[in-house]
Amino acid sequence: MNAFLKTLFGDAGTVSVVVIIMITERVFVATGQVAVAVFTVPPLVLAGTAWLATR
Amino acid sequence: MLDWTVFIPAFLTAAVEWVEAFTIVLAVSLTIGWRAAAGAALAALAALAAMTVATGGVLGLGVDVRWLQLVVGVFLLLFGVRWLAKAVARGAGLKALHDEGEEFAATRAEVARGDWMASWLIAFKGVLLEGLEVWLVVAALGLHAHAWTSSAAGALAALFVVVAAGLAARAPLRRVPQNAIKFAVGAMITAFGTFWTLEAVGGGAAWPWGDWSLIGLAAFYAAGGFALIEVLRTTRRQTQ
Repeated sequence: MNAFLKTLFGDAGTVSVVVIIMITERVFVATGQVAVAVFTVPPLVLAGTAWLATR
Repeated sequence: MLDWTVFIPAFLTAAVEWVEAFTIVLAVSLTIGWRAAAGAALAALAALAAMTVATGGVLGLGVDVRWLQLVVGVFLLLFGVRWLAKAVARGAGLKALHDEGEEFAATRAEVARGDWMASWLIAFKGVLLEGLEVWLVVAALGLHAHAWTSSAAGALAALFVVVAAGLAARAPLRRVPQNAIKFAVGAMITAFGTFWTLEAVGGGAAWPWGDWSLIGLAAFYAAGGFALIEVLRTTRRQTQ
């Protein structure tokens, strides 16, 4: 079961990165800043990737 | 008519996963025989095929596509950032490259300790877990472009190619440039994940160039990934 969950979700770090991305997207949408999100979210995703790579 | 923009990413993603699954099945087959190991692999593939058909059925029932986009988008992000991060870490030398030879030896050691049923389950679980990622990408690509046939055909073609190459070599497929493929596919599926999740959380048609934005996003992640590899490699050299 553990291996199944880990395959689907990854480790806690990966889940944290994706949760932060989702919250950021929701905040941008809720505040009507979708046009800003388009240029802010991808660098955030890349920053999360960099953090995951260096752990 | 095949949609090659869907077929190629599905093929590449599936090829990487099938190579890993083949290594496990090959190692198990040396303990419990080819027939039993192939039976375990086929049972896992049948489960995956049923999941794929069920996913297509759910779409046919008229489930709100936005919810599906959100769920699949989140999973694509989970896989995409993980794959890209792993490929960057390996490219920068922070992590050892995936070695099918080592994977083969580890599985051999594992099955040597177990009985017939335990070995069968290792082959079944191995194919099922590697195939889960294939299923997700097939579902995601099929959902995006309404190209289920091209998406599933890409995964199936990869399966045939890997099995044929593996049977011909009768050894783990070590020459496949797994890290390069993982890097490219990681960038692609992260792009899909970013695109879908923003649209699904309420951004509507948020992306300025519509579907073409996917290419821009994938290029951004690929360029960013290359830059990260260089930065991390330089930093590593300086600290050594």
